[in-house]
Amino acid sequence: MTHRIVVAGGSLAGHSAVAELMALVPDADVVWVTGERHRAYSKPALSKEFMQARNEIADLMLPGIEGDLGRLRIVSESCASLDPSGQSVVLGNGERIGFDQLLVATGARARMPDILQGVGGVFPLRTLDDAVAIRESLAGKPKVVVIGGGLIGCELAASMRTLGLEVTLVEQLQSLLERPFGGAFGTYFLDLHRDNGVELIMGGMVERLAVDNGWVAGVKLADGTTIDAQLVVVGAGSEPCTHWLEGSGVAVDNGVVCDTYLATSRPAIFAAGDVARWMNPVYGIQMRVEHWTNASAQGRAAARNMAAALTGRQELRKAFGDVPYFWSDQYGQKIQMVGWHQGHDHVELDRSGEAPGPLARFYRDGRLVAAAGINAPRIVMKLRRQIEEEARALQAA
Amino acid sequence: MKIIVDRQRCDGNGVCMGIAPEVFDVDDDLYLHVAENIPEDPELRARVRQSITSCPILALKLVED
Repeated sequence: MTHRIVVAGGSLAGHSAVAELMALVPDADVVWVTGERHRAYSKPALSKEFMQARNEIADLMLPGIEGDLGRLRIVSESCASLDPSGQSVVLGNGERIGFDQLLVATGARARMPDILQGVGGVFPLRTLDDAVAIRESLAGKPKVVVIGGGLIGCELAASMRTLGLEVTLVEQLQSLLERPFGGAFGTYFLDLHRDNGVELIMGGMVERLAVDNGWVAGVKLADGTTIDAQLVVVGAGSEPCTHWLEGSGVAVDNGVVCDTYLATSRPAIFAAGDVARWMNPVYGIQMRVEHWTNASAQGRAAARNMAAALTGRQELRKAFGDVPYFWSDQYGQKIQMVGWHQGHDHVELDRSGEAPGPLARFYRDGRLVAAAGINAPRIVMKLRRQIEEEARALQAA
Repeated sequence: MKIIVDRQRCDGNGVCMGIAPEVFDVDDDLYLHVAENIPEDPELRARVRQSITSCPILALKLVED
């Protein structure tokens, strides 16, 4: 009997898993439920190169899947639910698809506070369609308000300033990129954006939007001020797409809970990418990583463990350990972070001059757990290897 | 095995360098250098292939021998 594998999720984790499964399980049928009307595409470019019109949609597309394509069915519907028996998924159009194995790679979606919904000219940025909508509204040279000083907010602010637009950024905290960079660089990001002409409103609380005939006209803050705006872009974080798993028996706790092999609490169901919260052996803790390189590696690793279970080839089965990596490009600065700084107890700023830009090392109990640098890819990537090697030595001990 | 770098796209992330430092090196000007000759070692070649699929901006292409 031919086995059937369902891969739920049409972005990078799903893409790399499908590619790997097609290569490793040559006699299985693969159904790829993408939930996207586009082919799999590169997301990091959306807020940067694509927003600045330095590349186009065709440049974003990931390579096609190779192999016997007669065994692959691609469905652009999304998953509506998982049968409590754990043996079939129901799609948005009502179709039921049975499976021998399932990979949950449904990613995360942009969080959009209620007060920002239902008004024209207000966009989150998560998907290609979001990016296209924002890019199209730039033609009229709008006055832009960016809500949120995280990665998406700062990258959008930088892209829009690079395009010469007038940009105001509102952030609740007193610093930018606080969560992703653990505050290691002090006022560096504030200075970077201010020097490039972004009007920064720190400690700003958005109360509501000013609306004119259904379109945004401004952003009203709790202190009574109103900022004029014809375009509002929102970087308010994201949440894992696990709603369709409710009642299925798959354990969910801020993401799908997985072991080190990316197996969920239900047999034959695995998870990978932004949606997965797995036990990372490099750190010995559960983590959910919403970054591009993790999705790629994790999708591939889950596929290999699935193939091992299905084919009995135990040599494919491997714990998934990862030193997370992400980067940002703002005003030509290459900003990089490797590792997991959450829970660090010591930060060391490197003043040795070895790196051309600011460099920070994060420690926990004396062990290097993360590093961040600006325009210093060589040393940052060296530290990524160091973190991994030290973790391996620790596990072996 | 030969690697082709799309210089229009490559912006020096160094993801490839993190996976296969024996072959890829990004310098401080964010320029990617690639080794001319890649040893026959299958483990290394598997990592080189992984580097190529992991490039977030799809700047790398592989030509197998």
